[in-house]
Amino acid sequence: MGAVNLLFVVQRPPYKSENPRLALTHAIASQTAEIYMDDGDSVVPIIVFVGDGVLNVVKDQQAMKVYGVTSTESHIKSCLLIDLPVWVCKEDMTRLGLKEENMITDAEDMGAELKTKFVSFADIQKEMESVKHLLFF
Amino acid sequence: MGELTLGVFSSLVGSMSLDFSFKLAEAGMAKGHKVNMWLSGNAVMMAKKGQKPFKDYSHNEKLMKELMSKGMEVTVCEACAEARGYHKEDVPEGMKRASMDWYLAKTVKTDKLLHIGGE
Amino acid sequence: MMKLAVFLSDWRRTEDSFERMKAEKMGVILVGNGVYHAVVKENGKDSPVLSKAGANFYVLSDDLTTRGFTAANVNSKVKIVSYGDIVDLIMNDYEKMAWI
Repeated sequence: MGAVNLLFVVQRPPYKSENPRLALTHAIASQTAEIYMDDGDSVVPIIVFVGDGVLNVVKDQQAMKVYGVTSTESHIKSCLLIDLPVWVCKEDMTRLGLKEENMITDAEDMGAELKTKFVSFADIQKEMESVKHLLFF
Repeated sequence: MGELTLGVFSSLVGSMSLDFSFKLAEAGMAKGHKVNMWLSGNAVMMAKKGQKPFKDYSHNEKLMKELMSKGMEVTVCEACAEARGYHKEDVPEGMKRASMDWYLAKTVKTDKLLHIGGE
Repeated sequence: MMKLAVFLSDWRRTEDSFERMKAEKMGVILVGNGVYHAVVKENGKDSPVLSKAGANFYVLSDDLTTRGFTAANVNSKVKIVSYGDIVDLIMNDYEKMAWI
């Protein structure tokens, strides 16, 4: 079967719903999925934030300090750390008054080289077309 | 015949998306398809055996057991279950527990995936 | 371009992803509270969901009757389907599914 591409699409804001966090943790789980697969098979995820979901990517989240729970920001940075692409819809950022300077752009503090990509919905549509499965959260 | 994997994240009571999933699984199996189900997030409420079938609440345990006895593979997210206090000994007979990578791996071989992302 | 089945299970929600998604062949499957898109004419108008260009619309019969509606209420653009029909749509007619 080889590599199977999956697109995780997050549409909801963080914290009120467990959905965005589960999208991140499931995408990260791709790193260990090989134990259940045949030799040569793998899953290759990309996580994209669209609609109100772009609010997940706002930086300086203090969930651990306030509620003692891991922030969505730390999960997004973990994705970047393991070279899991994180894309954010530019049109939705504009609609909500968000600029790149407001967003998580990298995880350099954790040693990650990969950076967040700010893309158009047209780019996301292309990715939807190319992957095998879509997972909307 | 094909293989259909359902990933369900909706709660047992409240949205009826779990009811939808089990009825769809039943219809799929009746047509001869292999059906797998991954339960994560609030859907792990299915990982607690002995649920009473009150008429005011959704009740899927009976249908789930029937479908598992006919070959449907049902696996729940271990971490999601433990976080809610559902332990290994609580799991209905035939249901498996695994980490999230089980679901990711299923997406490789399955013909179709319907991912019901919850609320 | 892809063959995409979109499941709508909500009535009041932002459909911003849905509005922007394109497919060579798109099926819109109305389930749960999504069935209201097939039967309610707010201020006399069809749901904007039904104006998705080129899409085929389906509504789950069980979820219609659960909510007190019948075939007589369903917009002529929408085909009424059973669970078995949805299985056939998934397995035979569309490559990918998006439950949004």
